[in-house]
Amino acid sequence: MSYAKRVFAVLLAVFAMAGLAACGGDDSSDTGSAGNGGGSGGGTFTEVPNAEPTITVKNGEPAGGVQELEYSAGDQVRFKVDSDVADEIHVHGYDLMKDVPAGGSVSFSFPAEIEGIFEVELEGRKEQIAELRVNP
Amino acid sequence: MSWLPFAHALVARQDLPVPAWLFAWGASIVLIVSFFALSVSWRAPRFEEDRWRPLGAGLSRALLGLPVQAVCGLIGVFLLGLAIYAGLRGTEAPDRNFALTFLYVTAWLGFPLFSVFLGDVFRPFNPWRAVGRAVGAGFTALAGQRPAHLRYPEALGRWPAAVGLIAVVWLEIVYGASGGVAVGLSPHAAAVAALVYSGYTLMMMALFGVEQWCRTGEVFSVYFGMFGRLGCFGVEGDRLGFRRPFSAATKWATVPGSVAVVIASIATTSFDGAQEGAFKNAMESTFEWFVDRGIGLTTALRLTDTLFILLCFAGVGLVYLIGVRGMASVPGAPSFRKLRDGFAHTLIPIAFAYLVAHYFSLFVFQEQAQFTYLLSDPLGTGTTDLFGTASSGIDFRLLSANAIWYVQVGALVVGHVIGLTLAHDRATAYWGDYRQAARSQYWMLAVMVAFTCFGLYLLSVANA
Repeated sequence: MSYAKRVFAVLLAVFAMAGLAACGGDDSSDTGSAGNGGGSGGGTFTEVPNAEPTITVKNGEPAGGVQELEYSAGDQVRFKVDSDVADEIHVHGYDLMKDVPAGGSVSFSFPAEIEGIFEVELEGRKEQIAELRVNP
Repeated sequence: MSWLPFAHALVARQDLPVPAWLFAWGASIVLIVSFFALSVSWRAPRFEEDRWRPLGAGLSRALLGLPVQAVCGLIGVFLLGLAIYAGLRGTEAPDRNFALTFLYVTAWLGFPLFSVFLGDVFRPFNPWRAVGRAVGAGFTALAGQRPAHLRYPEALGRWPAAVGLIAVVWLEIVYGASGGVAVGLSPHAAAVAALVYSGYTLMMMALFGVEQWCRTGEVFSVYFGMFGRLGCFGVEGDRLGFRRPFSAATKWATVPGSVAVVIASIATTSFDGAQEGAFKNAMESTFEWFVDRGIGLTTALRLTDTLFILLCFAGVGLVYLIGVRGMASVPGAPSFRKLRDGFAHTLIPIAFAYLVAHYFSLFVFQEQAQFTYLLSDPLGTGTTDLFGTASSGIDFRLLSANAIWYVQVGALVVGHVIGLTLAHDRATAYWGDYRQAARSQYWMLAVMVAFTCFGLYLLSVANA
């Protein structure tokens, strides 16, 4: 390797390390904020065993913004929807549908067997109420 | 006002962000590969000649003969017609209508995929080319002379295709907004757009000639044809032949404006990936800034998206041009213009890698829909079942999150290596002195590392 090549290689390596370190830093702060329910007004449910988080629908919209439900593959997904409007709750990807009457509630419980990010929606209103996240 | 950039109305599932450890591994491999590329190097160009070898004359005649070409053209026209009909008459539910999945997933993502391996497979199926040729042949038969065309302005080159490429993506992910929320393009709007585009294309073909317009202006011919240059089959004269993979790409950017096409491809894919992560906060602030100025929600959202697509185009272009400027400073360099056009093709593998990284899972899942319920019930009426598959659905278990991550990162790394290879090869052709050629490649290497690491970064923060 010539001198110029070596100097260039060292410079590139330094930049790369700096870049990796910076991005790595970004990553950890990102996951941190996501875990604490950051983002646009959404809340996150902490995973307490047997807890059944409730999504409250007011005037056809999720109270407190789109809720985040996070699970690991193999967990049992459980949540309840309290709604003041009659609609059908659709869990995309898993393709589960349940009707909810106005002023009533409906519960979901199913194994988290498909990985990815899925919408939970008021099917009739096309309103997303929750985001289901299943990590591997 | 919550910010929900649900760009694709089709997607019932979104990818999880690539985890930090895989991001670090991917970036490290890219750097190690790049250092390796600095030391191993061939000194004479290997890809400048395509070493085209003809296939059997019978096979060539059969595949390129009028009957097969006419059948392929008819298939193209039929499928475009079906998509337009389904869009106009079918359900407005984007995921249940044949139009959107066929136009924006099967064709838009499928042709690049097949083209990079096989060559320009879109050409025979191009519905507008088929109609244009048929009309031209009819004119010649009736008038007894070939139709006369205007001279295509040479300087305009592939710019119409570059602008069209951005417009196609813009229509898909920007236009379909309502009430400040991106709801995706409706099948009806897609069908109307396809009709308008068909009218425009046929008019341009009438003005400048079918083959001329396909070479420089017709968005899909130019875009799919660009990826086809990486593939190993090509037509020369009236013979089909086998050529060295990637070699045809070296002659792709000889038409002005080609650089803009490949940069538009990388930029639009970047935008789609970045709006779910990297740009999310900046876009949200811009959107609110527009809303505070009294601009309506839908207009504000479209303005924000448009602004960021153009910023992506400018940003990607700037990085490339800085690299070119750097190369031009190496002794013995050809002119800036020659370098700028001469290295454009080295970005094609990167553009394809970006496509795979961002749309691989969408393609795999949505093609299940395409070949089951969308085929049996194209209008989504719920009453048709042509092939008995109308009640089938998408099996999202087909790909695990890990499989998707490895494909995404793997595609970026492989694209990076092919891009570097093509750039090194071109440098050995432009610089007589091998050591100067190697020096010039520090610059292209920096450009490629920037694009690949940016691609990895987008994956690691999307939906995070």
